[in-house]
Amino acid sequence: MEPHGKEEAGSPEQELLSSPSPWRVLPILSEQQSGPVELVPAYAAPVLDPRQTSRLVREVSAALPLPAQPHLKRVRPNLDASLPHALELLLCLAGDDSGTCTLSELLPPAVDPHGLGPPFLVPVPARPPLTRAQFEAARAHWPSTFHEDKQVTRALAGRLFSTQERARMQGHMQQAVRAAQRAAARGLRAVGAVVVDPGSGHVLATGHDCCSAATPLLHATMVCIDLVAQGQGRGAHDLGPHPACSFALAAAPQAIRPGTVRKLDCCDKDGEDGLPYVCTGYDLYVTREPCVMCAMALVHARIRRVFYGAPSPDGALGTHFRLHARPDLNHRFQVFRGVLEDQCRRLDPDT
Amino acid sequence: MEVKAGSPAATSGAHSVSAAETEKWMEAAMHMAKDALENLEVPVGCLMIYNNEIVGKGRNEVNQTKNATRHAEMVAIDQVLDWCHRSGESPSEVFEHTVLYVTVEPCIMCAAALRLMKIPLVVYGCQNERFGGCGSVLNIASADLPNTGKPFQCIPGYRAEEAVEMLKTFYKQENPNAPKSKVRKKECQKF
Repeated sequence: MEPHGKEEAGSPEQELLSSPSPWRVLPILSEQQSGPVELVPAYAAPVLDPRQTSRLVREVSAALPLPAQPHLKRVRPNLDASLPHALELLLCLAGDDSGTCTLSELLPPAVDPHGLGPPFLVPVPARPPLTRAQFEAARAHWPSTFHEDKQVTRALAGRLFSTQERARMQGHMQQAVRAAQRAAARGLRAVGAVVVDPGSGHVLATGHDCCSAATPLLHATMVCIDLVAQGQGRGAHDLGPHPACSFALAAAPQAIRPGTVRKLDCCDKDGEDGLPYVCTGYDLYVTREPCVMCAMALVHARIRRVFYGAPSPDGALGTHFRLHARPDLNHRFQVFRGVLEDQCRRLDPDT
Repeated sequence: MEVKAGSPAATSGAHSVSAAETEKWMEAAMHMAKDALENLEVPVGCLMIYNNEIVGKGRNEVNQTKNATRHAEMVAIDQVLDWCHRSGESPSEVFEHTVLYVTVEPCIMCAAALRLMKIPLVVYGCQNERFGGCGSVLNIASADLPNTGKPFQCIPGYRAEEAVEMLKTFYKQENPNAPKSKVRKKECQKF
């Protein structure tokens, strides 16, 4: 076994030369990250006397805090050239059916309204922006702060993975494509998948769709989850009749050396026998976006990341649902689509 | 609780079950859940009933198989497939006339599997707040998924309190296969 935690443990020359059509890997973010900016009505008022601005901000912020909208700045420049005032102050959120209000109706006695003009309704972003696109959309409505997740930004720009990482990803997906082709050659559906331990780069399971009248639920992902279990000495299905489905015996992780960077993983990993709990810490490469059953199976199996080639019509990792990014499920994982997308799409006409 | 089972509201669809059937089969499913609990598996039990005959039954086998998809329903589906093979019946004909009795609301994965098998009716005990696929987290049973089998009908709530109690008992004891908490992990590293 190669030492864990080394940046480039794999063989960088692998598969680089047989480069097929170019592909682009994109993250499948949560609904919250990818949805449009939700707006809520709020009251703001023009600051007619600029010398009162800092006092007004202090008093309004103290008397009318916005605990659910920490991203909203209190003051914005006036964008309407026909009006003389320079600044506008955010006072408080308004109900959905709110109408015109006066300052004395909105402000508690602790706020001296001196320097403010009549309040007006304005839509403001309801939640902190999570991506740069949401930030740009949000601040078009009201100035907002943005705590950028650099990894998300790089992923969205297609810059998350190095050339070596992309070469490894392509190698793994090519193995999944070959498994799918072997399935098709046997009259089975052309969907293939591999499970990889990203720490060592080792492929732990290679599988393909094994659906038949006798085994109608053996989708490629379900096959791979069972192959990993077989590599751990258990498993539930007899995949002997499918020679292209194979597994590697799982090795118990080597002794943890102090100071290694894999501390987090060791806490996640290992049952009584020192083996990982189901698929904890592993990556899945699958030619086609998993269905609802397979996507939830991956939640239960505690997969680390999923890379799929082409989307599928009822797909549950981006198309119809985003099961990997739900705050109400007990496990979440990263999903990327597009690895060898063209080849994967050609495998299965339904994708 | 018992009075509600098989109420007229539940019999409006193509498939219906009587109160007596519900009582009989859910009693058996509860026994299987208890068996799971005694074997340190998540206490869920289920039966697949076709023509008033048990054609499949299952309890959770995740820890035994190290395969996190081996929920009671998935085990039972495989048993029905075996039964079809042994008795020369067509699986599609059997599943389309099979009722599932299960002590806990099927999870999202199992609900999708039940759709793919085109099982028409599921009678269950308590809600599954953590993973439920029949309304608790998502409603896969009724969702518009044209490429994922057929929607199915649900009759929830039969002996729900008992089913919940068993789950609570299980989660109070420790799942020996689940990842350890950091605290316990530290204890282990001492030797």
